[in-house]
Amino acid sequence: MLHLRAVDYTILILYFAFVLGIGMVVRRRVKSSGDFLNSGHSSPVWITSLAFIAANLGAQEVMGMCASGAKYGILTFHFYWIGAVPAMIFAGVFMMPFYYGSKARSVPEYLRLRFDEKTRALNALTFAAMTIFSSGISMYALGKLFQLVLGWSFEQSVLLSAAIVLVYTFTGGLTGAIYNEVLQFFLIVIGFAPLAILAVAKTGGWQGMASRLDPVMTHTWRYLGSPAENPMGMEAFGMVAGLGFVLSFGYWCTDFLVVQRALAAESMSAARRTPIIASIPKMIMPFIVIVPGIAAMALMKMNVGYALPMKDGAYDYDMALTTMMAQFYPSGLLGLGLTALMASFMSGMAGNVTAFNTVFTCDLYQAHIRPHASDSHYLLVGRLTTVGGIALSIAAAYMAQSYNNILDVLQLVFSFVNPPLFATFLLGMFWKRTTSHGAFYGLLSGTLGAAVTHGLTVAEGKGGWLGATVHIFPSTMAQNLWMSIMAWSVCFVLTIAVSLATRPKPESELHGLVWGLGKFPSDSGEPWYRRPVPLAIAVAVAATILNLLFW
Amino acid sequence: MNDLKLPIGVFFLILGALLSFTPSAGAPLTDAPVNLYVGVCALIFGAAMTWAGRNRA
Repeated sequence: MLHLRAVDYTILILYFAFVLGIGMVVRRRVKSSGDFLNSGHSSPVWITSLAFIAANLGAQEVMGMCASGAKYGILTFHFYWIGAVPAMIFAGVFMMPFYYGSKARSVPEYLRLRFDEKTRALNALTFAAMTIFSSGISMYALGKLFQLVLGWSFEQSVLLSAAIVLVYTFTGGLTGAIYNEVLQFFLIVIGFAPLAILAVAKTGGWQGMASRLDPVMTHTWRYLGSPAENPMGMEAFGMVAGLGFVLSFGYWCTDFLVVQRALAAESMSAARRTPIIASIPKMIMPFIVIVPGIAAMALMKMNVGYALPMKDGAYDYDMALTTMMAQFYPSGLLGLGLTALMASFMSGMAGNVTAFNTVFTCDLYQAHIRPHASDSHYLLVGRLTTVGGIALSIAAAYMAQSYNNILDVLQLVFSFVNPPLFATFLLGMFWKRTTSHGAFYGLLSGTLGAAVTHGLTVAEGKGGWLGATVHIFPSTMAQNLWMSIMAWSVCFVLTIAVSLATRPKPESELHGLVWGLGKFPSDSGEPWYRRPVPLAIAVAVAATILNLLFW
Repeated sequence: MNDLKLPIGVFFLILGALLSFTPSAGAPLTDAPVNLYVGVCALIFGAAMTWAGRNRA
């Protein structure tokens, strides 16, 4: 257990004070439901870009990536360089014009404009359930962590974090959440970067660290020839198609949690640049959150007194980050590190709650429960939904206590929902012949395809519930990736088949919703760094160079 | 308030000051004055953000 001193608590209290203060100040700007739920489309691009990446810097990102670094080594970098950057570029260049240009307030609302109400309702319901689960898991993870490392009770940790997130999302809405995400981003960087530097320096620099580990731990592509060559059990095709295409494009291009941050931007150009600019720090993040995990494995071989704790006869990789902080951080920096950890949990929670707010208020309440109420009514519903979302998240956190594999269940749900949704968007945005029935039944069948794949395959004792096992995967990660590929493929093929058999919408109703139908504002007079396409090319070149450097 | 630079700058100035004056003791695997190093970085970042925020205001 870690022992905090007065300076550590002072840093924690300072952070809470600023977070709450920002929420209170932003409150004055919230005058309509649009301000509360969509930030009034008024945020500068640097703020939306950092919020775009910070909303994804939740519990899994920081603790989970460090743990994966210890377990799989530098292969975990693929979650950033292959599993995020290309999809973020694609979202900015190709998809944001439709989201922003259609004036849809949410991803499900775009689905209503492009297809119909039933497709919107299906996506809104699954997304709302996912956000509550995700937010609850963040709370649960925070409660367990602080119980373990600080000796705080689970209830204290969960209720304290929930109360703080509630105050600033209730008062400031999306703007309050976005502004705090920016502060949280800087805190996470300055809180964890010293750990990566100190740990690598202790092992003798990058070369020293690499020399103490199996070569597979420090090469991103060299050992992806076959699943047997690397601890992740993946080959290059599965990595690129599963993670680099289906899963990552499904998340970064269609998950409203992140798309919402770009939609808060002040202009179409800013919205398009948001994911592209966000991909720049995204390229750097693995050095901050994954490298400490890799260095932990090298330190264990140096006999300097560091060892990962054991759990059920195997290394407890989830403890890599906190045990490393205990070894390298004195009082003061320790308080900063724990505050950064708390910030990462809270940014994940707040991101989910604000996305839940918007989808519930706009796509479920306004669309199906009370369609023609006043704006002040929807503002009130938005605020009350914040309270409801936090309460449901707390319930989900307590429910998670009863399951020993709730994180696996959550990952499974993501594999069911996001990949088929991306297939629907890809066809909907780039093929005007895609019909509403095709989209709806494609989405449903894609999710079913993922479920059947899970039922017929087994990985680490999970899956195989349909009785017959047709394949055994070396890891749950490999199983999830292949499920995603299956879900995307089934949805893609069935959407095309049903679309060809049903009547499409007339072109006049698809203006601004499908590629080639409608014009977007020109940005040719701007310098290159303010134009999405040249910026995207520069980022793609940088990502390619990084992949080559660590090949 | 549309520009966040000022509050972020002030936050990191206070954080930097706190860290810079806290002795680095009690970390088993390092003797370096890491509180001072990180504190100075936070002060520089905080000062830059505050300056940018005040300039804009």
